[in-house]
Amino acid sequence: MTDADSRAIAITGMGAISAFGEGAQALWAGLREGRSGIRPLRHERAAELRVRIAAQVPESFDPSAHFAERTLPMLDRASQFALFAANEAVAQSGLDFAAGNLGTRTGVVVGTGVGGETTQDEQSRRLYAENATRLHPLTIVRLMTNAPASQISMAHGLRGPSFAVASACASTNHAIAQAALMIRAGLIDVAVAGGTEACLTYGALRAWEAMRVLADDTCRPFSANRRGLVLGEGAGVFVLESMAHARARGATILGVLAGVGMSADAGDIVAPDPAGSGSAMAQALADAGLAPGDIDYINAHGTGTPANDPTETRAIHAVFGAHAPKLAVSSTKSMHGHALGASGALELVAVLGALRDGVVPPTANLDVADPACDLDYVPNVPREMTVRAALSNSFAFGGLNAVLAVRAA
Amino acid sequence: MTEPQSIDAIRDQVFAIIAKQAKIDVATIRNESTLKDLGVASLDAIEVIFDIEEHFDIHFPDQGTNFDTDTVQHLIDAVVAAQAAGKEGGTQ
Repeated sequence: MTDADSRAIAITGMGAISAFGEGAQALWAGLREGRSGIRPLRHERAAELRVRIAAQVPESFDPSAHFAERTLPMLDRASQFALFAANEAVAQSGLDFAAGNLGTRTGVVVGTGVGGETTQDEQSRRLYAENATRLHPLTIVRLMTNAPASQISMAHGLRGPSFAVASACASTNHAIAQAALMIRAGLIDVAVAGGTEACLTYGALRAWEAMRVLADDTCRPFSANRRGLVLGEGAGVFVLESMAHARARGATILGVLAGVGMSADAGDIVAPDPAGSGSAMAQALADAGLAPGDIDYINAHGTGTPANDPTETRAIHAVFGAHAPKLAVSSTKSMHGHALGASGALELVAVLGALRDGVVPPTANLDVADPACDLDYVPNVPREMTVRAALSNSFAFGGLNAVLAVRAA
Repeated sequence: MTEPQSIDAIRDQVFAIIAKQAKIDVATIRNESTLKDLGVASLDAIEVIFDIEEHFDIHFPDQGTNFDTDTVQHLIDAVVAAQAAGKEGGTQ
């Protein structure tokens, strides 16, 4: 076993909920066909808002169909998404956490940008708009940022190190990196890790409007006619195992998490720095023992903002050099929206799908070439091609970058 | 609805808002300066826009304007346009 092998982590389960509905398969089926989950905004105050569109989990999602009557009052929408995705991932992995005390060797790390925003918004309205003096007694346990991780831990009897990770739009990738590093360090054999976000409340939407970064038509990453990002929501959760643990039980390995890279720009709070994102990509490659030429696909951060797209392009050029033009680079945010803390999770579903099926999902809505964005962004049409290894980029407000390097099983 | 103000009055108020946010002498601001020229970039520029919107009780369009590179004159024009639209009962 080479050093890189001993550092590799097996991904043996995945689950998701997104604008494409329930399940990782529904998400991947949409992305691999180049379909968009972006729709007119569904909100009781939509008529007043300037936000027009979003990539929301469909109304057909019925929490009472998935969670026990006793559990449901504890679950903010963010926890509902996380628990739904975790249940799917655990079922696919086939692991029995009760057997042989595996639960004590399993951790939970869930990334989220803001946690229980729906609960915060509802209870604030009671307090300030309705002048109520009494809040719902489960307000705290619903809104706390660690609630999704705790609910997964409780539902599956996972007793290892468990916590939330928050790094805005890079939360999932930082969470998965933490989980992988704990497995490598020998603290745990298995981790249930991913990200969740459900923050399309009136207050949060107004706050996003004030930043002036939202598109009013659709999300057009790397396209000269881009008009900003489109907010999304959802969750993706994965089962990670040490390679030895997965092989010993003959698990089906969906993909191999080969390396992680993390960095901070230490500059502007929102303007991205290609040195910072480039450093995270280079670290992920080095950690994975992969050369730039080994990478066939990059799932880009690709928000569709004038700040991100040219900067990310420059960073990819700097890291990949002569190999950069040969890369397929796509932003699936053009279809599942920017699910903020969950975006890395939805994008890891896309990466695992590309590795397994040999299909790279496209960048939708890319119809006007931008001279500042000169890579192969797989515009509009999915591409059949062998993907040996891929990077998945997440770069957050606050200048926090996290990149995953994933290769075929 | 307050009466639309003179261009000179609007200009003086816009200059004052920019000077305060950029922490610069108001005398250094010219109509043809861009916010970037004045050292107002990124989030600071969005704050200037917010301050102007709050001050005049108007709303600038979300798209079609790049506040980093547009000139101060463009901001003044946008205030005039937004006030005129407001007077006509428009929401934008």
